[in-house]
Amino acid sequence: MTQTYEGMFLLDNQVVREDWKKAKSIVTDALKKHGAKIVCARRWDERRLAYTIRRRRRATYCLTFYEMGNEGITALRRDLELNENVLRYLILACETVPAGEVELSAAEESADFSVPAPPPDDAVDAPPHVRRREEGAEAEGEPAEAAEGELEEGARAGHERPARAAAPAPASAPAPATEA
Amino acid sequence: MGSMRRPAAPPISGKNCDDPVLDYKDTENLRRFLTAHGQILSRKRTGYCTQCQKQLKQAVKRARHLALLPFVG
Repeated sequence: MTQTYEGMFLLDNQVVREDWKKAKSIVTDALKKHGAKIVCARRWDERRLAYTIRRRRRATYCLTFYEMGNEGITALRRDLELNENVLRYLILACETVPAGEVELSAAEESADFSVPAPPPDDAVDAPPHVRRREEGAEAEGEPAEAAEGELEEGARAGHERPARAAAPAPASAPAPATEA
Repeated sequence: MGSMRRPAAPPISGKNCDDPVLDYKDTENLRRFLTAHGQILSRKRTGYCTQCQKQLKQAVKRARHLALLPFVG
């Protein structure tokens, strides 16, 4: 039994910047592979995300409506999970395709439709450990001598904590065996 | 002595909820029902009935999943 589904897919802007048709085909090909009949598919919006997903700050939303049997949904979900260009997806069963969606999708197919290029500030954030390492390298690279000088001065002024004599820990004597 | 309770603010949704159409894509509308930190307002504040509050909850959670709304402000 076929059911109409609404699918919202969050696509990586790096792919969208290359070519929107190619980015859209990532979604449509995955749907067709699992036997979906696509009613319409269009670019919904390009937005700044409320939180970063896979270190992306911005992404493009692709809204699709398609008809499909329920047996292919699990495999489709698995394919989408494995696809690196699909950051998130939401699949909902719906009664009908909303009015105007098909027209909007058809308008996208026309020759004079052009997708505005995503803004450049979707730069990938470096993961925290890499960022810390980079910051550390910058701090060390430039004022390395100054830092050493400061350290020497500090040592002379007696700010540096004197090294403790490594006193060996007193070996705990074994408890004398009590005679029974 | 009378109680010092502050009078309740009028519900955001109006007098009656009247079967609202709450879509996860309509984030501007959904933001009216969130606190500054992104938490869903209580039924007392939204003025929604049980079913409509459930619709609101579902729509906000879908929007959060797609990063249209924040989980925490």
